[in-house]
Amino acid sequence: MKCVIGGAQLRVFGRAIHAIARISDEFWFDPVEKGLALRSVNSSRSAYAYVFFSSMFFQHYCWTAVSDPCHKEKELSLPCKLIVKAVLPVFRCANVLGRNVEKCSISTSPSDHHITFQLLCKHGVVKTYNLTFQECDPLQAVFAKHMCPNILKVHSRLLADVMIHFPTSQEEITLSVTPVKVCFKSYTEEDTDFSRTMVTEIHLSPEEFDYFQVGVDSEVTFCLKELRGLLAFSEATGVPVSIHFDRCGKPIAFSIEDVLLEASLILATLCEAQKEADSQERCCPQQWGSSETHPDKPSGDEPNSTDISKHPQRDGNAPTNPVAKQEVKSIPRVTGRDVTGRAGTATAEAAGEATEAPYQKFHSLFFGAVSYKEKDATGHTFQSLATASDTEEDLGPLQSSPVL
Amino acid sequence: MSFSAPPPASGEPYVLSASLDNARHLSSLLRAVHFQDHATCFATASGLRVTVEDAKCIQANAFIQAEIFQEFAVQEESVMFRINLSVLLDCLTIFGTSSLPGTSTALRMCYRGYGYPLMLFLEEGGVVTVCKINTQEPEDLLDFDFCSTKVVNKIILQSEGLREAFAELDMTSEVLQITMSPDKPYFRLSTFGNAGSAHLDYPRDSDLMEAFHCNQTQTNRYKISLLKPSTKALALSCKVSIRTDAQGFLSLQYMIRNEDGQICFVEYYCCPDENITEAEL
Repeated sequence: MKCVIGGAQLRVFGRAIHAIARISDEFWFDPVEKGLALRSVNSSRSAYAYVFFSSMFFQHYCWTAVSDPCHKEKELSLPCKLIVKAVLPVFRCANVLGRNVEKCSISTSPSDHHITFQLLCKHGVVKTYNLTFQECDPLQAVFAKHMCPNILKVHSRLLADVMIHFPTSQEEITLSVTPVKVCFKSYTEEDTDFSRTMVTEIHLSPEEFDYFQVGVDSEVTFCLKELRGLLAFSEATGVPVSIHFDRCGKPIAFSIEDVLLEASLILATLCEAQKEADSQERCCPQQWGSSETHPDKPSGDEPNSTDISKHPQRDGNAPTNPVAKQEVKSIPRVTGRDVTGRAGTATAEAAGEATEAPYQKFHSLFFGAVSYKEKDATGHTFQSLATASDTEEDLGPLQSSPVL
Repeated sequence: MSFSAPPPASGEPYVLSASLDNARHLSSLLRAVHFQDHATCFATASGLRVTVEDAKCIQANAFIQAEIFQEFAVQEESVMFRINLSVLLDCLTIFGTSSLPGTSTALRMCYRGYGYPLMLFLEEGGVVTVCKINTQEPEDLLDFDFCSTKVVNKIILQSEGLREAFAELDMTSEVLQITMSPDKPYFRLSTFGNAGSAHLDYPRDSDLMEAFHCNQTQTNRYKISLLKPSTKALALSCKVSIRTDAQGFLSLQYMIRNEDGQICFVEYYCCPDENITEAEL
């Protein structure tokens, strides 16, 4: 693979790398025919980031699948893992990249196990970085965005202005929505001494959002640190941010997309053991456990098979496809239990935690196998796997992974 | 303002006496060579030279010529002593390191000779501090024997082009490899770290390149931990000259302009690293 990023787009690319750097120490670098995908997941599997740059984002993009039957080498189409700390210096000072660097070319050389980043800088200086990569198994999160009852769309500037009020040490914040109000507030543990804590609350009205849909009242708590990276990235792109979420305990997705690129950040949310009576139903891991592996899905749905790279069609302002939107809107604001199995079917790692209902825990995301239909739908040549396998065996495209 | 030297007690004149209106002219240069606690001071009528060495491989010299001082007098042909540079710097900056416009620390330096401490009188805003720093027996210094006739390759670069590069050097690499050549890549800095290799190429026709005189292709490696302190000198300088001789010894000379526009020099000499085997990309 070889691609060239022009000066103007370097700032965007650099910000993407910085956003991904907040998730984990390593990331997946995955060039495919249509473009370049970067993915990262944190060690507790509670945050997943995905950025995809279409080939049009680049000044020049060239990808060929090379398979050499003579060698034991795997196909070029398998992604590789890079260490974030190694790549960050290349894109240091993302803000000034555009001014100091004319262009950056990235090329891979699978036989050498190197990816080369070459920057043509001011004054004729050329910086070349040859970074080693590890071959690895693909990574992909499963999250059905269009199944979420709550969808907000807003310009990243507004979100950044909101987040700036929270101190940088603030780890988690809570987003609370009703059909008439949106509130961001700092999250504090129950045993916090309130007399020594600063709690911040920001209320917004639905009019501030480009798109506002609340199917179910909810309060979701998630980590702020990873979100800040995505916000900085989306500010560089100028693309508005869509927020898809459901009740507490189910993941929340922040995503941006336009013609040249798309990005998603999926965060696990805290599951409160006990909530006030009139708000959400109690989210217990047991419910997840029962519905997880054999979901009670209405027929005709493809919940598990939605992967992030497949984005629903646009319909004006609405970030979901029309069919899903209707489906979603028809869910009443419920406190009943029957809705559990449908909405937001990113499954939680419930098996081990089923007995811990009273404790507040972050549900970790489960990167599960994708249905067989997926392969035909997207043309990707690999399927997702939860964890990298230790063996060197060739992985068939339809292999499904064990439950984590 | 200048001090008049206090009358010497036994009638002996000070072997070295100097006055400086702005102590920063001295302290900033000394910081550029401060990578070890101890330094050797060598004063002649032309000025003061402060030398720091490490591992018998690297030597840094800061030159403050007599013209920089308001008063500079050396009674003997030369005066030499060893002193704790960290302590000297702490004393010179005793009124703080931040520079408010219009304020500066005035300095008077006196040395009676072998066995006597170095006396510093520092004044700022009417407050006077007197420091006495013990001196030690000077040690033998390395002589890199680097003269212009032995230079094989020489380039002069504007410092702004190198500053970022040196500040961002991959410190997981054991060596900094310097390639100088009449052909491509002309001038290349390379590191070989945990994550891979990095190369920084400066073409001969770059507008950062003030002079380019390379006769032979040379590639030499130097321990990066020894060269990293030179980043401080680079940060202060406006130009740097990089020279190598036939044995691969490296000379880095930094031209530094102080607050009053006067020119001073700092130089670093470094031995090539013989032990590391070729392992480059």
